[in-house]
Amino acid sequence: MGKVAMLIDTSKCTGCRGCQVACKEWNDLPATTTTNWGSYENPPDLSASTWTRISFHEVADDRGVRWLFFKEGCLHCTEAACVEVCPTAALQYHEMGFVSLDEDRCNGCGYCVEFCPFQIPRLEINPLTGQGKAYKCTLCQDRVTNDLIPACAKTCPANAIQFGDREAMVTMAQKRVEELKAIGYTNAVVYGDKELGGLGRIYVLMERPSVYGLPENPQVPALTRLWQKGIQPFGYAAVGLTLLGLGFNWVVQRRVARAAEAEEEG
Amino acid sequence: MEERYVKRFSASERLAHWLHFLAFTVLLGTGGFLYMPALQPFTVGTAGEAARLAHRVAAVVFIACPLIYLIGDPKGFFYSLREAFSWGAEDVQWLRLAWCYYTRGAKCAGIPPQGKYNAGQKLNVLTQIVAFILFTVTGLIMWFGHGVVSPALFRWAVIIHDLSVTAVLVLFLLHLYLVAIHPFTRESIMAMFEGVVTREYAQEHHARWYEEMKAGGEAG
Repeated sequence: MGKVAMLIDTSKCTGCRGCQVACKEWNDLPATTTTNWGSYENPPDLSASTWTRISFHEVADDRGVRWLFFKEGCLHCTEAACVEVCPTAALQYHEMGFVSLDEDRCNGCGYCVEFCPFQIPRLEINPLTGQGKAYKCTLCQDRVTNDLIPACAKTCPANAIQFGDREAMVTMAQKRVEELKAIGYTNAVVYGDKELGGLGRIYVLMERPSVYGLPENPQVPALTRLWQKGIQPFGYAAVGLTLLGLGFNWVVQRRVARAAEAEEEG
Repeated sequence: MEERYVKRFSASERLAHWLHFLAFTVLLGTGGFLYMPALQPFTVGTAGEAARLAHRVAAVVFIACPLIYLIGDPKGFFYSLREAFSWGAEDVQWLRLAWCYYTRGAKCAGIPPQGKYNAGQKLNVLTQIVAFILFTVTGLIMWFGHGVVSPALFRWAVIIHDLSVTAVLVLFLLHLYLVAIHPFTRESIMAMFEGVVTREYAQEHHARWYEEMKAGGEAG
């Protein structure tokens, strides 16, 4: 099976948040009670029970004031820091090109939360005992592996969310950006076609990525691979050399003692 | 007639030591799963959550150990601390002859008389102190730091915690070898069970401490 991707065309998004609702419906996630904090943006952040969310951004320039909508959620990196640090393999690369999450395997350590370059996964744990799990968008892994498109893509009334073969999605995004540039949106850009080995979620953005709170040049944190590929082998080597050294010491002191005994007897 | 044994460790010191040992092995076991791909099943799901809970309970005991020593035996605590931090030319000389000391024993010429702790033991104590601080600080960051500290700080905490494990694990193996296996020093383990060592052992391995004790009657 080839790689799939989700295309999110922010130029078409109307901020209706149908995707938020569809996500909760399909994944059986409870609604959260929120209070008015002076914005239509709601809920105010991703959470263990909110895996996708539309963030609202006001931009004032010579076009006047514009209201930009942005669909937050896991970006399904091809080089995913969360997969690299996950000690239980609850997070894995799926052959279809998304980062799958097996809740049963997760032990709630939260390394994924702290290593994600986009700060997407959310922990729901008891702060004292640490019992709980991490959650994030799975690209509807149960749907897409059964020939259905993700719930959010299915519901989007503006067709701002497309889903399909990754190559086709990238081509579609590039074409759309050209169209936007032609009608004067000169800052329009494709995001996710190349970032972190290519994301499983591709955006058509109206403005620079940073306007939406995205890192312009996302990187896997430098310490990500140090643990499994640096400290682990180093630990093994250190323990191995120590045991060797102790064994050597044992042999040498024994030989010294034997020689002394032989001398006494002789 | 002189007594056959001399006092080496107080009851509080021994209690703190064995609690520390217990906590350390639980921490090593539950944390060590992350190091060993073969034991990965113990990190997964419910078992993993249980391991993380045990790690936290043991961590509380681990952090309490120095306090138990301090409260139960303040004099001994500060004596040991002072000893660990006082270094002289004879300590350097001891380290230089350490291999000879642990292979030839009493026949090794030029070993300077040592205090209650020899230079190797001092190094162990100093490393344990540094590691204790690193473990506690980075552990608390990982325990309570989600959403409080910056992700970059959290990442460093993970790395430093793991590096400290490596340092302490090497010392632990060395310690275990010397107190339980090595023929020259293994009789000293009785000091941790019964609080005493034989007079001969004190004279041979900690001559300066032995003289201090004889002169002042009391030396930690």
